[in-house]
Amino acid sequence: MSDSNNTNDTAKPGRFMSGLIGLRDWTDARLPIVKAWNTHMGQYYAPKNFNFWYFFGIISLVVLVIQLLTGIWLTMNYTPSAEAAFASVEYIMRDVEWGWLLRYMHSTGASAFFVVIYIHMFRGLMYGSYQKPRELIWVFGMAIYLVLMMEGFMGYVLPWGQLSYWGANVIVSLAGAIPVIGDDLLIWVRGDYLISGATLNRFFALHVVAMPIVLIALVVLHLLALHEVGSNNPDGIEIKKNKGPDGIPLDGVPFHPYYTMYHDLAGIVLFLFVFCAIVFFAPEMGGYFLEVSNFQEANSLKTPEHVPPVWYFTPFYSMLRAVTYPLFGIDAKFWGMLVMFGAIAVLFVLPWLDKSPVRSMRYKGWFSRGALMMFLMSFFVLGVLGTQGVSPAKTLMAQFMTVIYFAYFFAMPWYTRMEKTAQPPERVTGRFISIPQLLGSILLLILLVVLPLMLVSEKAEASEANLTLEHVETSFDDKGSLQRGFTTYMNYCSSCHELGYARFARTADDLEIPYELVVENLIFDDSLIGDLITNSMSKDHAEAWFGAAPPDLTLIGRVRTPDWLYTYLKSFYADESRQFGTNNKIFPNVGMPNVLHELQGDVICDAHGEEDASHCELSHVAGTGSLNEAEFDTVVAELVNFLYYIGEPIRSRRQEIGIWVLAFLGVLYILTALLGREFSKDYH
Amino acid sequence: MTDDSTNAGRRRFLVGSTSVVGAVGVVGAAVPFIGSWNPSAKARAAGAPVRIDISRLQVGEMLGPIPAWRGRPIFVIKRSEELLEALNEDPGRLTDPDSEEPEQPGYAQNEYRSRTPDLMVLIGLCPHLFCSPTPHIELRPQPFDEEWRGGFFCPCHGSRFDLAGRVYSGSPSSRNMEVPPYSFEGESVLVIGIDEETTA
Ligand code: FES
Repeated sequence: MSDSNNTNDTAKPGRFMSGLIGLRDWTDARLPIVKAWNTHMGQYYAPKNFNFWYFFGIISLVVLVIQLLTGIWLTMNYTPSAEAAFASVEYIMRDVEWGWLLRYMHSTGASAFFVVIYIHMFRGLMYGSYQKPRELIWVFGMAIYLVLMMEGFMGYVLPWGQLSYWGANVIVSLAGAIPVIGDDLLIWVRGDYLISGATLNRFFALHVVAMPIVLIALVVLHLLALHEVGSNNPDGIEIKKNKGPDGIPLDGVPFHPYYTMYHDLAGIVLFLFVFCAIVFFAPEMGGYFLEVSNFQEANSLKTPEHVPPVWYFTPFYSMLRAVTYPLFGIDAKFWGMLVMFGAIAVLFVLPWLDKSPVRSMRYKGWFSRGALMMFLMSFFVLGVLGTQGVSPAKTLMAQFMTVIYFAYFFAMPWYTRMEKTAQPPERVTGRFISIPQLLGSILLLILLVVLPLMLVSEKAEASEANLTLEHVETSFDDKGSLQRGFTTYMNYCSSCHELGYARFARTADDLEIPYELVVENLIFDDSLIGDLITNSMSKDHAEAWFGAAPPDLTLIGRVRTPDWLYTYLKSFYADESRQFGTNNKIFPNVGMPNVLHELQGDVICDAHGEEDASHCELSHVAGTGSLNEAEFDTVVAELVNFLYYIGEPIRSRRQEIGIWVLAFLGVLYILTALLGREFSKDYH
Repeated sequence: MTDDSTNAGRRRFLVGSTSVVGAVGVVGAAVPFIGSWNPSAKARAAGAPVRIDISRLQVGEMLGPIPAWRGRPIFVIKRSEELLEALNEDPGRLTDPDSEEPEQPGYAQNEYRSRTPDLMVLIGLCPHLFCSPTPHIELRPQPFDEEWRGGFFCPCHGSRFDLAGRVYSGSPSSRNMEVPPYSFEGESVLVIGIDEETTA
């Protein structure tokens, strides 16, 4: 790039350039930067037949940089203590300028890291990139994977939500399964008799200081080892065997600029496009990247109904659960843990299990191909099962898949030796399988994954599923609705339920209400406009009154869907057996009175003589409330709209910004793709 | 040959445009990282105007406990006639007796450096290196100054200020203490952080 500038410009930049060159030479005499650059970039010759799968190594570096930067920035506002961690995350999401973006980038980046790494590992399996002489590269890579899993696990604990807490509880408790020393070890790991602030603080230190250092060191080793022996390629042959008269491999192209500028750049931009699409439009990713129960603060006395691990751990979690037999008088839990860790450990010895004379799946036989397909199947099926609850059929399926997972490795020495392999070509080749073959394989894989899952799926998953929720529209643009919802909230809800992570001023700004109006009409205590929306109800009072302190509702719009909230608020009915004389159809025996009763009036639940009230018909007693039914529905809908807004105030602006970011990346992608196509002509 | 030249042109265009767009992207990506260092909503809320009840402040005293605005101490002193007279006895000892440097709002650029002569409002920080000076309000000789006429003495490096926050020459500080924007709400409420008189 600089060359073309140079030839066209006149003397002045020339002097500037010569100054730069002088600086380079001065440094090079003291530190071998030119040599390092040549070894790893300019004169590192990579095979020219890299395909789609080869993007993911460099992309994982991009994700690493994203994680390091956003992570460092998050620590600037995060508070690692059991008392303040959860609130500090919401502080980042609401009060810190752009904090929401940094946090979503980091949370999405964690999942992206695993997507990329899993594809990168699969590439290695497919093209035999772990075989001699690349064993160490693979071993370092697996160490990276292991450290990443620890990073992911400990990072997930830091927001101190319900899932953070109970996920940590489940995984850390595994230490207790070790015979003899287990119990003491468990207490030592936690630093307490339960997961507590002490655990959180040590995880914080490890997550932000110790592990990243180890990770970076391993990445350096991984790359040094790679650049020592050279890259593998889809054909699995050594390009160094065919060198030109200048000593350069005939099938090699310089890593820089060919791969860096003309090949990978467009791929990276495309990756960023997908990444930003998730960050700006689906940061929760349907509850897989940010899980719903983690929008509730950790509570050591109440386990959420469902404690699924984050998706990237689910295959191993399934294996852990699949082991249900005690053996040699030791708990099944212990063997489950061994199986789970064994599943990762066996990856480390893979280079010595593969006895095939060829590397690439292209020239291996049908046994290897079938085995890889079965391995993929077991991994995916175990992954999906890990997100679900257990049933006898599912456990059986998980056991079966666990066996297949291990069989892939343990039978490898046998089937790689037995099968008939093809002779790889002398020189690298282009595309190997045709598009129909590719589509066929993908289809086959989908079938292999879906069929076993269908076999064990249950008809009605949860009992809640058959509750029909009424739909309600939410709109951030309808300021009138939001303003009225806010007013209803302050009048009817705020004396019990705080919005303790949101501020009056921000809410007023977003809802376009002048500060004076808020101060005069909506602030009932001596709060200032910049304060959090809290109330003065003491916790002890509240517990004496309601049995439990009414929860903070700032995040209720993220924990529950708008439809659920809408239906819930409309489903109170008269029930003399309850403390407050009301019950709720979709939240039976809820400890909350119907605060909107004066508006709604009486509602009767007619179960047609049946015991179970969850299917009863609600009917409104006309004339008992101050509003008619339609008016009441509007009030509730507006209240729900407000709650949905306050759950994530940035939502609508996030999406607006997202459109611009994606448009920008689209343009950049077109440019980098064209650039790549133009310049790679020089290399073919 | 012609093919080559169009190639060169296209290449120059592609390299140029990709670099420019890429540079824009880098700048854009830096925005959240730089922006997040700005004061957060919490910091801004703490920086909001503060209301101070001055109804119980006696003549010749400084308000205690010391109120804070944006985390900085605010000195509020009710000066007696005697103290006010002592202020402009000897302007020659002061570095900036007429408050020419913009260390105060326009309405406080007068001989008393205040809206109303008796009530002095100051940010209680020494402009030298931002220690908080100690008030010595009485007109009596002090170990650090034989002819002390009331004021503030900075314990860090010995800057001396009079009761209008003006610095005495020969102090490490070369500027007067800062007067914050302030106004009154009725008789007894002093508002720090807002310039205009509120009618309410
Ligand atoms: S800080 Fe006051 S004299 Fe230096």
